[in-house]
Amino acid sequence: MRLTLDSRAPVYIQVIEYFKVQIASGELEKGAEIPSRRELANTLKINPNTVQRAYKEMEEVGLIFTEGNMPSKVTKDEEVIKAIKDALLQDSITNFITSVQSLNVPLEAIIPLIEEKYKQANVQSKEEDND
Amino acid sequence: MIEVKEVEKKYGKKSVLSGMSFTAHKGEVTCLIGVNGSGKTTILNAIMGLTPFKKGDILIDGKRLHKEMYEKIAYIPDTMTMISSLKISEAFEFMNDFYTVWNQEKAQSLLTFFNLTTDMKISELSKGNKAKVNLVLGLALDVDYVLMDEPFSGIDIFSREEIANVFTSHLIENRGVIVTTHEIQDIEHLIDKAILINDGIVVKEFNAEEVREEQGMSIVDVMREVYRS
Repeated sequence: MRLTLDSRAPVYIQVIEYFKVQIASGELEKGAEIPSRRELANTLKINPNTVQRAYKEMEEVGLIFTEGNMPSKVTKDEEVIKAIKDALLQDSITNFITSVQSLNVPLEAIIPLIEEKYKQANVQSKEEDND
Repeated sequence: MIEVKEVEKKYGKKSVLSGMSFTAHKGEVTCLIGVNGSGKTTILNAIMGLTPFKKGDILIDGKRLHKEMYEKIAYIPDTMTMISSLKISEAFEFMNDFYTVWNQEKAQSLLTFFNLTTDMKISELSKGNKAKVNLVLGLALDVDYVLMDEPFSGIDIFSREEIANVFTSHLIENRGVIVTTHEIQDIEHLIDKAILINDGIVVKEFNAEEVREEQGMSIVDVMREVYRS
């Protein structure tokens, strides 16, 4: 597990974002066990109290759940997972549009570029998988 | 909780602590940051009763330091004070004779944590490994508070990383830790509270996550603002 921390942003939010991406991408499957608080603190070299706070928030929004003394698990609720994925997608697209708009290029000119780059990126990631 | 209240101390005419105040809580890592000569080591010595001070007060869980406090609080100085001709096993015996709160099992697991063995002789260890043994001797005491003076100073990056791992391990779980450093990068994401010290006083005391969240500033940003003004 790798996470490059931005030292100007709250660490607990960076941890939550990391889990959101992992869950939305299916890297962490629904119902999968996640590392214990201490394990994660150790892997990421961050304060265990910070991990505790991230896990608490994730529990409150239903992203993860804990039963008794068992390890925490990713939600099994597909609606929640879909909502996370949608939100992440919306954010990425908003960011993309903001940066592209500053270049004053019309939408029609951008769409074929997106299609081309998207295909290229897909081919590349498949090649990497085969390595 | 360790409460430092308006502590003043002079060496001759020179003020080293000029009304220093801060608190450090159990279950948290509190980091005293400041350049050399700012009073970091002196305040740790004062908390341990190793140096007298003129004015102010220091309370540990509401009480002044007394003999039984040494069962509550451990001090890990920046250089090894253990007799260096000893093997690590003999140093452990020495600690066991000296402290009722010495935990041999914990000492052994800490040593394994650092990939060291008890048959090693202290004088033959590298600087980095000496620093680790120094930490083991302090952390293996079953105490509520641990004071560490510059644990990262003067050692290689890999040893620094190994020492930083202590901060996320069960070894300091539920303890209150006060650590001093003049290089924050090693533990930037591992601390709860940062206390910036200059000329014997606290110039700023803040929670690292709060400053990131509310002001979008890193610890180093805050230091730049405080020390450059």
